[in-house]
Amino acid sequence: MKSAICGLVFSIFTVCGASAAQSAEEILAASDAIRNPGKSFSVTVTLTEFQSGKQVDTSTLTSYARTQQQGGQFASLIRFVLPARDAGKLMLKNGNDMWFYDPTNKASVRLSPQQRLLGQASNGDVATVNLAKDYKATLVGTEEVQDGDRRTRKAHKLALVAAAPDVTYATIEMWIDVENNRPIKGRFFAESSRLLKTVYYRRFQPQLGAERPTESVIIDGLNPQSVTLMRFSDYAARTFPDTWLQRDYLPRFQPE
Amino acid sequence: MRQKLKTVRTSITCSFLFAVLAQVMPAYAADADADALKLESTPSTEPQAPQDTKIFVEGAVGSAAQRYLPNNRDIGRISLDFSHSARLAPGLRAVISDRIDHHAPKLLGADSTVNSLREAYVSWQPDGGNTMLEFGRINLRYGPGVGYNPTDFFRDGSLRTATTVNPFELRENRLGSVMLRAQRLWTDGSLSVAYSPKLAEQPSADGWNLDLGSTNNRDRALIALGTQFSSSVSSQLLLYQEAGASPTLGASLTALLSDAAVAHVEWSNGSEPDLLSRALSLPAATVNRNRVAAGLTYTTPGKLSITAEYQYNGFALSQSDWANLGVTAPAAQFAYLQEAQRRQELVAREAFLIYLTQKSLGLKNLDFTALLRVNAGDKSQLVWAELRHHWSKFDLALQIQQHIGNPNSEFGLLPDRSVVQVLGTYYF
Repeated sequence: MKSAICGLVFSIFTVCGASAAQSAEEILAASDAIRNPGKSFSVTVTLTEFQSGKQVDTSTLTSYARTQQQGGQFASLIRFVLPARDAGKLMLKNGNDMWFYDPTNKASVRLSPQQRLLGQASNGDVATVNLAKDYKATLVGTEEVQDGDRRTRKAHKLALVAAAPDVTYATIEMWIDVENNRPIKGRFFAESSRLLKTVYYRRFQPQLGAERPTESVIIDGLNPQSVTLMRFSDYAARTFPDTWLQRDYLPRFQPE
Repeated sequence: MRQKLKTVRTSITCSFLFAVLAQVMPAYAADADADALKLESTPSTEPQAPQDTKIFVEGAVGSAAQRYLPNNRDIGRISLDFSHSARLAPGLRAVISDRIDHHAPKLLGADSTVNSLREAYVSWQPDGGNTMLEFGRINLRYGPGVGYNPTDFFRDGSLRTATTVNPFELRENRLGSVMLRAQRLWTDGSLSVAYSPKLAEQPSADGWNLDLGSTNNRDRALIALGTQFSSSVSSQLLLYQEAGASPTLGASLTALLSDAAVAHVEWSNGSEPDLLSRALSLPAATVNRNRVAAGLTYTTPGKLSITAEYQYNGFALSQSDWANLGVTAPAAQFAYLQEAQRRQELVAREAFLIYLTQKSLGLKNLDFTALLRVNAGDKSQLVWAELRHHWSKFDLALQIQQHIGNPNSEFGLLPDRSVVQVLGTYYF
């Protein structure tokens, strides 16, 4: 009995010690590993846009994400599925190297990060991103916040500052569940400190070996009445070569 | 004293307002978040698998004010656009892409109904997609230029009907050339080789003809080397050769200049007859000249994209030669314009293009697109603007086009002074 109690106390101290030793970077990396599988994969993304609570638009994409050998960041090849007018169009995002390909006019057009193709969701939202690779994180404190399912959770609050030149947001505030490192909520800011969007991560389900958020609620920073739901489904492990992640491959892209 | 009291009162009021706002704003944000978190997407937005077939029908009605006739000309068109990609075996695909345009009244010198078999080819990608071999009618297009593509070597004769002046939409109608094509990809680069044989002598005006005479009337070959120098700079180097002519060298470069700006430049140099000699089938010596397109695209945070492009065609007539031609042989000017259109060539030695798109113009699904072409020699202009509203499967568009210039200028010479048309497109 005594040894059992000692063991329990030891275990608690070990867990607490491990948690206390976790740095901001480690918390963020653990949260990234929940948002994104650690290997190349494909996922169907359904975007539903709302204006003042009314559904105004919907689109579907298939995202093929590949971890890059250098830096460990993801590169994404995104194929438009719906609406029908956009079916078959492709977007390639490999850091700041962004291309849009339209099979109807055979045009490969280089995009600047400011060129949005998807309504309220930026190209960076749709592409898979490991935040720990692009941002320097510091632990601000621990707070109780409401999660995407409107339950109160105890969370680490992290302050993220861009460490790479080609990132979508200058700073980010992230709330990550103290218990399991699940991402709860993020507030994304421009260089001018203007709030660009608030994102809630919710509907955690087992996907590719972990409980991952299968829906994001994106609230526009300037107009909170403009909301986009991003639903992730049909996760599948995929292997594809890095030679696919360039402009000259886009006309050849043949998803099996 | 009264002034001081007023100042104190004002500062107290301001402090109070700030305090109230500081309390109210987070509450407002929390309310907005709570409202957003109640939202659910409807069952109709269940994810759908990618489709291999794309079909749409488009109808257009309009009117053109004619320069040389008093009455307006009616415009009517219905088009069926179809493309399909079929997986025959792992790594092996067949692609077909076709478009039928029916014009009423019919266009001058063409059948009422014109079929354009744009593509019909098989594509084999062994080796995980790093090597590719294709055979059939392939729409091979190069060049980052918006309104003029000096390195798009397979562009001449590729348009059976021109239904728009928007360069992006114009490319949707073009015919591919029958060719054998191979490509090898590696990290940050690719090498492509294409050979397009001569299969027919003359273009065909028959609406249902495959029109190989337009796309395969001589033996042609192209080698293209693509290189990605960094995440923000990439290039293409091209060598083009056609039977009986000396090789033409081409190159293009695109660069990301900032979060909002992209630059492109495209160039080719070759020896060939000048454009007027080609238009009038004159026996002429070849001359060595350059073609250039260089531009910048800037996007504002409000989703307005503006492209400004400079265009140069060393084979085109100079302004003085164009003006002289108008005095000595006006009919030759029309032949020259027609040949330039057939070859998708620049009529003027130098020209400018402004192209802008504004997404969500006031309304969520309302897009505005406009372009301005300016002939730098005679200062004539083509202005085109479109308002397009999207629904889930239907687009409705209003297009306005104006040709401005003196009677002897490139755009002032065109038979239509202005065109207005309404288009409806239904996507299946």
